[in-house]
Amino acid sequence: MNRSLAIVLGALALGVALFCGSYLVSQRLCQVCVAQPAGSLDWLRKEFKLNDIEMARIQKLHADYLSQCNMLCQMVTAKKQAVAAALNTTTNVSPVAEQKLAELAACRAQCQSRMLQYFVEVSQIMPPAEGRRYLVEMQNFTLDFQGENAQPRSESAGHEHHQP
Amino acid sequence: MKENMNPDDAKLGALLRASRAAPALPPRFQENVWRRIEDAEAPVPSSSGLSWLDALAALVLRPRLALATAAVLVVAGALLGVREGTLAANQAAQAQYLDAVAPVALR
Repeated sequence: MNRSLAIVLGALALGVALFCGSYLVSQRLCQVCVAQPAGSLDWLRKEFKLNDIEMARIQKLHADYLSQCNMLCQMVTAKKQAVAAALNTTTNVSPVAEQKLAELAACRAQCQSRMLQYFVEVSQIMPPAEGRRYLVEMQNFTLDFQGENAQPRSESAGHEHHQP
Repeated sequence: MKENMNPDDAKLGALLRASRAAPALPPRFQENVWRRIEDAEAPVPSSSGLSWLDALAALVLRPRLALATAAVLVVAGALLGVREGTLAANQAAQAQYLDAVAPVALR
């Protein structure tokens, strides 16, 4: 009885270990092999089935946008620091702090407007159906039109030129 | 039968019973009897479980079957891992693109 039970339990444990081991190894290998370098637009190419000409145009747009985005992010950071400084001086929301908050909001709106413009320009390069899908997805993810669940979780801290 | 009975027969019967030596019952006789009855009536799970487990153990130890099962498990695990890994890599690539074009501060 004890011997048979030990054999069956041992076989079960071995089976579970084999399955889990092969699952974990293949998953990790696949993630490493499929992972793309930072700044790569391969995901766009695959996801929206783009050809080389479309990709070249998008890459140019992307590079132009990133330089502007970087500048705008620095502006947002500066405005945030100004708001923090205005709030540090008093326990109330002073008129100066309100003004700084309004400036921050305006700066953010400008950034978002530029971001949406970039999405539209990219979508116009794509085939019409894919472009519409891209635009809807990007708006959902970036402006949270579908709630928190629409946000993909990133393992990295985020944007390279993201400012806190 | 009743017609043949008479008081003499009854006396005779009593005498016979009195003359028959009744051996003393062993201690806890009744309890033991009931225990043996219960044991006889009870199902025998241990013996059937034993044979079932032995059969399974014998099956598990058959080399061809063990090898085939191991191969199936490895292939199934690998396929599932590739599927999950691809999905995870795709999600990571999407998040990477979004992080590049839409800084968290702007969302």
